[in-house]
Amino acid sequence: MKRVLREPLLHFLLLGTTIFVAYSLVTKPSNDEPGKIVISQGQVAAMAEGFARTWRRPPTGEEIEGLIKDRVQEEVYCREAMALGLDKDDTVIRRRLRQKIEFVTDDVTALAGPTDDQLGAYLKTHADAFRVQRQFTFSQVYLNPERHGENLARDIAQLLAQLQQAGDKADLSELGDSFLLEHKFQSLPAGEIVKQFGEKFAIELGKLSPGQWNGPIESGYGVHLVWISERTEGRVPELAEVRDAVRREWANARRLEAKDKFYQELLKRYVVTIERPKPAEEKRIAATK
Amino acid sequence: MILTKHLLAAALVCALALTTNGAQAEDTTTDVGTLDQETAAKMFPAKPPYSPYAGRNFPTRPFFGDTHLHTSFSMDAGAFGCRLGPKDAYRFAKGAEVTASSGQPVKLSRPLDFLVVSDHSDGFGFFPQLMSGDPGLLATPQGRKWYDWIQAGKGGQAALDIITSFGKGQMPKGFPLPGTPAYRSAWQETIKAADEANEPGRFTAFIGYEWTSNAGGNNLHRNIIFRDNGAKASLIEPYTTQPPLGSPNPRDLWKWMVMCEEKTSAQILAIAHNGNLSNGRMFPIIESFTNKKIDRAYAESRMRWEPLYEATQIKGDGETHPLLSPNDEFANFERWDKGNLDLTELKKPEMLEFEYARSALKNGLKMEAELGVNPYKFGMVGSTDAHTALSAVEEDNFMGKTTSSEPSADRTSHPFVKTSLATIMGWEQTASGYAAVWAQEDTRESIFDAMKRRETYATTGPRMAVRFFGGFDFDAADANNRMPAKIGYSKGVPMGGDLTDAPKGKAPTFLVAALKDPIGANLDRYQIVKGWLDAKGETHEQVYDVAWSGDRKPDAKGKIPSVGDTVDIANATWTNTIGAPELIAVWKDPDFDPSLRSFYYGRVIEIPTPRWTAYDAKYFGVKMPKEVPMTTTERAYTSPIWYTPAK
Repeated sequence: MKRVLREPLLHFLLLGTTIFVAYSLVTKPSNDEPGKIVISQGQVAAMAEGFARTWRRPPTGEEIEGLIKDRVQEEVYCREAMALGLDKDDTVIRRRLRQKIEFVTDDVTALAGPTDDQLGAYLKTHADAFRVQRQFTFSQVYLNPERHGENLARDIAQLLAQLQQAGDKADLSELGDSFLLEHKFQSLPAGEIVKQFGEKFAIELGKLSPGQWNGPIESGYGVHLVWISERTEGRVPELAEVRDAVRREWANARRLEAKDKFYQELLKRYVVTIERPKPAEEKRIAATK
Repeated sequence: MILTKHLLAAALVCALALTTNGAQAEDTTTDVGTLDQETAAKMFPAKPPYSPYAGRNFPTRPFFGDTHLHTSFSMDAGAFGCRLGPKDAYRFAKGAEVTASSGQPVKLSRPLDFLVVSDHSDGFGFFPQLMSGDPGLLATPQGRKWYDWIQAGKGGQAALDIITSFGKGQMPKGFPLPGTPAYRSAWQETIKAADEANEPGRFTAFIGYEWTSNAGGNNLHRNIIFRDNGAKASLIEPYTTQPPLGSPNPRDLWKWMVMCEEKTSAQILAIAHNGNLSNGRMFPIIESFTNKKIDRAYAESRMRWEPLYEATQIKGDGETHPLLSPNDEFANFERWDKGNLDLTELKKPEMLEFEYARSALKNGLKMEAELGVNPYKFGMVGSTDAHTALSAVEEDNFMGKTTSSEPSADRTSHPFVKTSLATIMGWEQTASGYAAVWAQEDTRESIFDAMKRRETYATTGPRMAVRFFGGFDFDAADANNRMPAKIGYSKGVPMGGDLTDAPKGKAPTFLVAALKDPIGANLDRYQIVKGWLDAKGETHEQVYDVAWSGDRKPDAKGKIPSVGDTVDIANATWTNTIGAPELIAVWKDPDFDPSLRSFYYGRVIEIPTPRWTAYDAKYFGVKMPKEVPMTTTERAYTSPIWYTPAK
């Protein structure tokens, strides 16, 4: 197996130190030499490729010259800045480097495609996250308390009686107060009920019996009389129904886990000494908190 | 509680006596003559079908989301310490609890319905794709070893070994090295995260990015949103602002957008934001790049690609400014008017006109009269522009602009931007906003199409439902209709629409309705903001109160008195004992002149509630300086409806 980076070593073994030095002078990328900048063919090709990906056409001669000129400028500035040590202790650069190394662990976990057994096990231990929500098919009539004031209780009773008489044939288009949300909902999942009516309403709805007019139950908007025609209980789905979601969550859990393990492994290479502030100072900091 | 404390007794009997006449009414509306109108009329035959769901293809509830969120993929977000990427951002928006970059657990009160992760295209960068999944790699002993480790759950160990080998130059053959195409771009990762998170019908994850033109520190930023999936979006790399590859001039962005749609058939749109930090350049009459007057080509392009404007976000509210709207008592809201984005140039009063949404809508009428095209015919959305991967702008759950302004005892007292010219303090951040979209369903296609037709509104955080319909035939009884939306669509056009050619003797009428956030504060009032161009070519504006809670009466100047204030600042609480959960009314323009161009948009104001600074003060036990506002009045701005005279 030929490894480009090992070639200098090979030359060293064969021809000795002198030749190795000569060789490394020749093969070393010229950009390592101070005072010399070479924009390689490969780099030019990469710039052209980048342009083509943005504009869906190859750059013109003028455009590629512009890109090259810009790259030279970047190289000059970077070298000068590094020579001045401007890259040292730069938070932005340090954070970027940290980010890049963290990407490595992301890659590693991305490679490992999970088996169905692994996904099944994950689904079992995280059942709640994938649960198919309880669903309600229901009708509701709304009363705006502001409009009824102290007559609210009486009006509710009256309306309820009227609805109970009409049963599921009640014509809701003319009952109750005008309301921006729908009067009838088909198979609405509990989470969607929370979004539209708030949690209090969703909980109360769960306690009602289907097939009759119930209420009043309260929401953030006011009060509602409700007829539930169908209620489907929540359940833990089969893997086949939610495989994509389980795979996504599984991969995410793996990603976080790998990141942590990776850091712990790296940390083992270091002896970390933290020079904490003296106790007196510590106390003062604590006091100001 | 709310059930017992109310005064107004519109007796139920009375309400029942009012019959809905929507079915008859729609037969009389042939004179409006807009496309939406005609379609709507076909949708609703005289006798509605037995099934209440049949023929109902208008949007029945708004979807709430954020069109503008940065993650660690943005250079500046990463530099501020953000360590959560697009995947984390989508998980959080879908309701998962995550650990913020500052180490604290955070979760939304309710999931959002959609999200655009819009990282800066400049400096997107490439990341080493060490495990590119090349089958040749697995055939090497090292590759095989790593693969087995990973399968056995020893990912950390594998990663370490890979890094070590990399450092020693002992990588197996076929391993991608820096500078090779096997380096993946952050853009590809962004696309992948969105496609994975997208769940049609349940949660929409849009592919997008931000084109961050910042010429001279003046904010001309735009977010680009794709309607399509990764198969199309990955055909192209995002447009940048650095010449020679990119450009800071919006005209060049529009050229790129034309090319993008032509060559990839992907549909895209752009949303600009933070005119308040553009120092007079966001809505120009004179173009800053050429110093020439805006021409028809500019107006046409801007109209084609920019149907919406992000009118409120963490870096201040952009509806209007007290100097522009001196008679608007609610205009002084979350102002950021010290200078440009990086505070290298101070604000001058004459810049304001070209920065705020309302004045731009007014100037748009003027330019339309001259050019034949209105470059500033935009709808409204709000979004966060958070750089934390956390779209969290509720006052009691505000995660700040950057990782360094995630909740902490001193986030309010630290300067947010500080130059020799001016300082913006941490407490000046605005916990705002979200985009609300009236779409038929929670999918990329449906939400994108609603954005294109401007059926959207901005909120400063609360998820209130706001309707705004315009037509010539709404009457008072329509406000008592049990199904305001049905009557709204059948007799008029929704927000974002057009009215033209007023029938003789008729003035525009509006059916307005707002429903509070189910877990939020009551509503104070619903206002209509009108702007128009007079016969001399001068623009004007007027704010009308059209619906309000309780039995308040207009004063001598026609203004509705204040709703009051129940905020207990020390405890960061309020009560819904004032205001109303829902406001509905029909309003007719009393000052209409059919020969003048005009626009109308809705503004809904909540009762006062504690500002995020009050929650901070209480939680961290800090005393805020006197100048820090501790209450706020959250609000919503609808997209306008425009009236254009015939010919």
